[in-house]
Amino acid sequence: MISMIFRKRKHRLKESILRGVFEENLKILGKPPFRISERMPLSAKKISLSFLVILLFILGHGNSLNLPLFQEKQTIASSSTKNYFQAPEIPFALYDNSANLSDAKAFLKIPGVPLSRTFGLSVKTVMIDPGHGGSQNGTIGKMGTKEKDITLDIAKRLKMRLDKYGRYNVIMTRENDVTLPLNKRVALAQSYKADMFVSIHVNYLPSRPTNIIETYYFGSPSDDTTLKLAERENADSQYRLSDFRKIIEKIGNTLKYQESKKLAASIQKSLFSNISKEDGNVQNKGIKTAPFLVLLGVDVPAVLAEVSCLSNSKEEMKLNNETHRENIAHYLEKGILDYLNKGEASYEAKRR
Amino acid sequence: MKQKEDNILFVGIDLGTSRSSICASSGAKEWIESYVGWPKDFISLKVVGRPVLFGSEALQNRLSLELCRPLEHGIIKEGIDRSEEAVREIIKYLVEISRPAAEQKIYAVVGVPADTLKTNKLAIRRAVSEFVHSLMVVSDPFAVAYGMNLLNNALVIDIGAGTTDFCIMHGAIPTEEDQKTILTAGDYIDNQLYSYLNEKFPNSKFNKNMVRQFKEQYSFVGKSSGEIRVELPVDGKPVIHDITNEIKRACESILPAIIETSTEMIARFDPEFQVKIKGNIVLAGGGSLIRGIAAHIQEALKVIGSCTVVSVDDPLYAGSFGALKLAQDMPVKYWESL
Repeated sequence: MISMIFRKRKHRLKESILRGVFEENLKILGKPPFRISERMPLSAKKISLSFLVILLFILGHGNSLNLPLFQEKQTIASSSTKNYFQAPEIPFALYDNSANLSDAKAFLKIPGVPLSRTFGLSVKTVMIDPGHGGSQNGTIGKMGTKEKDITLDIAKRLKMRLDKYGRYNVIMTRENDVTLPLNKRVALAQSYKADMFVSIHVNYLPSRPTNIIETYYFGSPSDDTTLKLAERENADSQYRLSDFRKIIEKIGNTLKYQESKKLAASIQKSLFSNISKEDGNVQNKGIKTAPFLVLLGVDVPAVLAEVSCLSNSKEEMKLNNETHRENIAHYLEKGILDYLNKGEASYEAKRR
Repeated sequence: MKQKEDNILFVGIDLGTSRSSICASSGAKEWIESYVGWPKDFISLKVVGRPVLFGSEALQNRLSLELCRPLEHGIIKEGIDRSEEAVREIIKYLVEISRPAAEQKIYAVVGVPADTLKTNKLAIRRAVSEFVHSLMVVSDPFAVAYGMNLLNNALVIDIGAGTTDFCIMHGAIPTEEDQKTILTAGDYIDNQLYSYLNEKFPNSKFNKNMVRQFKEQYSFVGKSSGEIRVELPVDGKPVIHDITNEIKRACESILPAIIETSTEMIARFDPEFQVKIKGNIVLAGGGSLIRGIAAHIQEALKVIGSCTVVSVDDPLYAGSFGALKLAQDMPVKYWESL
C-alpha cells in the first residue's frame, strides 16, 4: 500500500516536470501556455461565443463610449504622433539644445580634428558594460528572453571585434551572469582608468509593439518616457532621481559632456542607419540625455545604448538569432570607431 | 507513460561543448567530438575527400579545414564563425546515425549547456528542427538528473569542457535560481596545464590539442598512483618528461570554484532539505572522469556536514540517455502541440 502511494506520488511529480519542460519550450517558441487542445463542452463554447460578440460590439463603439481603455490608446497614439513630428530633420540631432557652446566646444567642433590629435592622446582602454546580470534580469520578453543575457552576448561580441585591432585594451564590467551593482561598474571603470565607457541595454515599451533605437548620455531627462527609463535602469542603485538634480546642474558644458554627446551620436547613427536597412519599421529616437547613474560616475565619454526592444515579439525572435546579435555588435563597433577616428585621413579614406 | 508508437523514433541528444552524443529508441548510441570542419579550398577537398568532417577526424585534418567548435561561443583559434551551420551538421550526422525508418517521425529532446540555452534557444531549435518532426530543448544537467531519476533533493554538477553547470532538483522543473554556471571546467584545465608545461619545459614543442590528450589520459586529483611520463619533442628529438605535478595542479585548479559554488547552492536551499541534498550529489560530464574527483569534493564539503558525492557511470551518455528518457515519457499531446 505504502509503495503504491509512493509510486503514485512519483508519477505525479514526473507528470508535472514533463509539463514544465513542455511549457518552457512553448515559451521559447513564443507560444502562449496551455495550448493543448482539449474538448470544450458545448455550453462553454456558447458562453465564449456570446462573450466574444459582446466584446466585438464594445470595441466597435469604443470611441463613442469613451472608455478608459481607449483613452490610454489615444494617449499613446498622440505621443507617438508627437514624437514623429518632433523627430529632428537632421537624423541625429539632440533633443536637448539648452547647453551653450563654450570655447572648448567650438575648438572641438573644428572639422577634421580627431579627438586623439586634439589632446595628443589616444583612447587606449574601452570599457564595455553589459547591462544588468545575475539576479537582475533587466527586461524579459514574452518568450522569456532576458535583457541581461542579450546584453552580455552582444558585449562579448563587441569586445572580440575591438580586440582584433590590437590597439585598444577592451575590458568588460562583467563577463558572466553575475549581479554587479551600478556603483561597482563605475568603480571598475575608474580603477582600469577607462578612456571610454559604453553601456549596452535593451528597451521595453509595453504599450507599443515597435522597435526603437536610442542612445543616451548623462544629463537631465529629455521627457517623461526617458525619466521612467532612467528610473528603471537606476533601480539597482540606492539613489533617487531627485539626488541627481544638483549634480546635473553642476555638470554644465564640460568636455566629458561634449564628447559623450559626440560618441552617442556616432553610435546612434551607426545603429540606426544599419538596422533600418534590415527593418524598415525601426524608429530612430535619436540621442537623448538622461540621469543614468552608471554614466554619471565615469569621468570619460560615456553612453548608454538601447540597441533593441524586447517588447516587440519579432525583435525578440531576432535577438535569439546570433547573426542579429553579431550585427548589432558590428554596428556598435562601427559607431565607436567612427567617433575615435573622425578626421583621421587613412580611416576616412577606408570608409569611402 | 511511455509511448509505444512504432512510427515514432525518440532520440535524446546531448549537444556538448566538447562532445555530443545521441541515444535513440531504436537502440542506436553514438558520440562524436563537437568539432566540424569544412575543406578550405578545392585542394583540401581532394585531400580530405568529403565536404564536411566531424569530431576527431576533423581535428586530425584541421590544417586543411575551416574548423568550428560551435558551442564555445564561436570559434577555436584556427576556426571561423559558422557555429549555427556547425550545430546543424552535428545534429544531421547524429540523427543519421540513429537510423530512422523512412516513414518514421522523429521526436527529439536536446540537452545543451545551460548558458548556451540563454541566448541561443531559437538558433538551436532552428538548427535541429530541420531534421526532426518535433523537438524540445532542455539544459544538460537537468537531462542528466531526469535520466538518473533524481527528481527530488539532489544536486547535479555537470563538469563539461566550457562550463561547469550546477542544478538542484527539488521535485519541479529547475528555475534559474536552481541552476548556476561557472567557467572553470575542462578547457580551463587545458589552459592551466598548457601554461604549466610551457613554464617547466620552455624548449619543448607541444600544442593545446596534445595537452588536452594528456589531460584526458592522465587526469587525477589528490594522490597520484605513479609517475606520469610523456614524450615531447625538443629540437625535433623525442624527450621523456615527467608531468605528474603539472597534471595534478591543473586538475585541482577547478576544485575551489566547484566547492565554493556547491556550498553556496546548498546553503541557500531550504534548510529542512539541505541534509537530503548533501547526501545526493552527483558528478556528470567529462570532468567526472578525473580520477579521485568525487572523493576529493566529498572530503572538501565536510565543512558543511557529511556529504555523499558520486560520479555517473557513463558520463558520455548520461545527458543523451536522460534526454531520451524525457522524450519517451513526454505525452504525445505535448509533442504534437509544438
